[in-house]
Amino acid sequence: MRDWPHRRWLMLELFVLLNLAFLAVDIYVAHSINRFANPMEWVPFVFSVVATPLLALASVADRRHRRRWGRWFGLIIGCGAIIVGIGGMMLHLESQFFELQTLRSLVYTAPFAAPLAYAGLGFLILLNRMVDPDHTEWGRWIVVFGLGGFLGNFLLSLCDHAQNGFFLASEWVPVFSSAFAVGFLALTVATTPNRLFLNFCLAVLVAQAIVGGIGFVLHLRGIVGGVAHDVRENILFGPPVFAPLLFINLAILSGLGIIDLKSRRAV
Amino acid sequence: MAFKSVFIAIFISTALIFAALIINNSRPTVETGGAVGQPAAQFIRATGKCAECHRRETSSIVHQYEMSRHSVKGVTCLECHQPLEGQEKWAHSGFILTRQLTSLNCRQCHTTEYDQFVRSRHGAPAYAAVQGEQGFTEEQIAFAEKYHPGTVRRSPNALALRQGEGVLDLGCLACHNIGKPNVDGSIGSCTQCHSRHATSVALARQPQTCGQCHMGPDHSQIEIFNESKHGILWAHQKDLMNLSAPAKTLTTRDMPVPSCSTCHMSGLEGQKVTHDVTERLSWWLFAPVSKKRPTYETGQTAMKEICLKCHATTQVAKFYEDAELVVLATNEKVQAALDLVQKLRDEELLTPEPFDEPIEFLIFDLWHYNGRTAKHGAFMGGADFVQWHGNYELLLKMNEIEDMAAELRARKRQELSDA
Repeated sequence: MRDWPHRRWLMLELFVLLNLAFLAVDIYVAHSINRFANPMEWVPFVFSVVATPLLALASVADRRHRRRWGRWFGLIIGCGAIIVGIGGMMLHLESQFFELQTLRSLVYTAPFAAPLAYAGLGFLILLNRMVDPDHTEWGRWIVVFGLGGFLGNFLLSLCDHAQNGFFLASEWVPVFSSAFAVGFLALTVATTPNRLFLNFCLAVLVAQAIVGGIGFVLHLRGIVGGVAHDVRENILFGPPVFAPLLFINLAILSGLGIIDLKSRRAV
Repeated sequence: MAFKSVFIAIFISTALIFAALIINNSRPTVETGGAVGQPAAQFIRATGKCAECHRRETSSIVHQYEMSRHSVKGVTCLECHQPLEGQEKWAHSGFILTRQLTSLNCRQCHTTEYDQFVRSRHGAPAYAAVQGEQGFTEEQIAFAEKYHPGTVRRSPNALALRQGEGVLDLGCLACHNIGKPNVDGSIGSCTQCHSRHATSVALARQPQTCGQCHMGPDHSQIEIFNESKHGILWAHQKDLMNLSAPAKTLTTRDMPVPSCSTCHMSGLEGQKVTHDVTERLSWWLFAPVSKKRPTYETGQTAMKEICLKCHATTQVAKFYEDAELVVLATNEKVQAALDLVQKLRDEELLTPEPFDEPIEFLIFDLWHYNGRTAKHGAFMGGADFVQWHGNYELLLKMNEIEDMAAELRARKRQELSDA
């Protein structure tokens, strides 16, 4: 465990890099539904494509070669991600929901919370550079972002499955499970939990990962059995294939924070 | 501490779940599938997913739909746009749709209305008046001929053919397509009168809607209506009408002044509503020489029931008597002109080809424009159309035809003497 501070720094950095890269694919699919109607929709895609290798470069320069510019470059990319995320949310706010303000338009509108994924990643980049991984605060902040992610998951799975009118009862499962993740992570953030509670949290996070895995298979089945002959059309307009993976993703992130907190707690 | 935290965490989670269930429960049933029993998830998705893009791309159709009764009743886009047997399927943004809606799509819910429509002259006879029997199945022809003998088993319209294909599509067929045979085996399109996404009964009750086709010299019903007392009152009071009132419960309180649909279709105060626009007619007024329809008695009785909502029995009887006198007088003049032209044909003073000699256009104008106008004017209260646009023109054109006939005969005599 001597290496743990370095490892957790590295794990979080890898987590951010993978997410940033994967968001390029996710955004491309999501905005293709819209046929990139607004040129601004290319911004997050381009940001992901450009920022991922630059961040990797900055991380290596910062951590391995101890170059100051590496740290600053990472901070700039982090700030950029926050701007992209908040800017994206502002643009999503110009959707039909805020025009009509009806429950129906909320269900079918552009997911205004989704761009905050960039803001979350941006804050994680800053966190990894501004907070010492040895400090208790580090793990707690990760749980905060995990909590935010699961709150987003709760809302997104609620709205996405509401589009189908929860036609299949199984569509409620991610809503229920993410509600539990929110409850447990909220308590982790708000209190100073003991190891037993943190173990409960880990169990809840394992359940999230299982829900995500099963959801991924179900969404994939929906795409394979899609109505169009064209696979691309089925991917774009079928169940969002990557969405359930967010459960696994956030379980990993939150798990990182919980394990960090646990490592600092006595039995 | 662990128990307290677990308790609070579960409490928060359960509260979130309840909130989600309560919010979902407050949505209309059409969006949740519940009570209306949506057959598949895509029908629910269609309640909002289609509008999400189309509000941006073709926003007008979304607004039109939102104003419609279909929207109030929770009919989704997919219910009308789902491909039915015989219709081409189109994969579009996660849905399988049909692009070309026909009356078959409307028939899914409006079976009675379709069955009445297809019996009417708006059905196959409307299209056959231009294109003849082409495109219809033998079964469709037999069905239409039962109600309108001689109107579908016929050759294409000679004048329409002479005018060329482009003119056909943007001219004649723009109206006559109302009875077009569709590839799915149905006939016609309901959207001609109800429009597409507004699917409006109020629109179909507007005289202008009927007037989009029933206008001009050959069937000048809208001009006649505008001139009639009905039309004058309509112009004055149209804003006071409840044109969206349901057809089966329509009263004179909703529409105290009649439009075309009131007399020809509406179920005013308990009378049977019909989409067979010929049901209340008693004469073949569109024919060169008009005869009584086989349904003369029932048709006239049905129409008179509507008249009686506003007029006294004696007044209605007198109106019909007077109108029929005009029909007979017009018939007489048209028949005389037709006989004269036929005689010229028999004497081989005209070529067998239609519409290649001035007199053929003149006789066509005489019955098709002025003859019809006079008769329609008589039944719709259009005095000017009975007289100046009708019978006066009949006399004038008859005079010209007689002159032309004399000229043709003189020319023939000259040719014979020269030979």
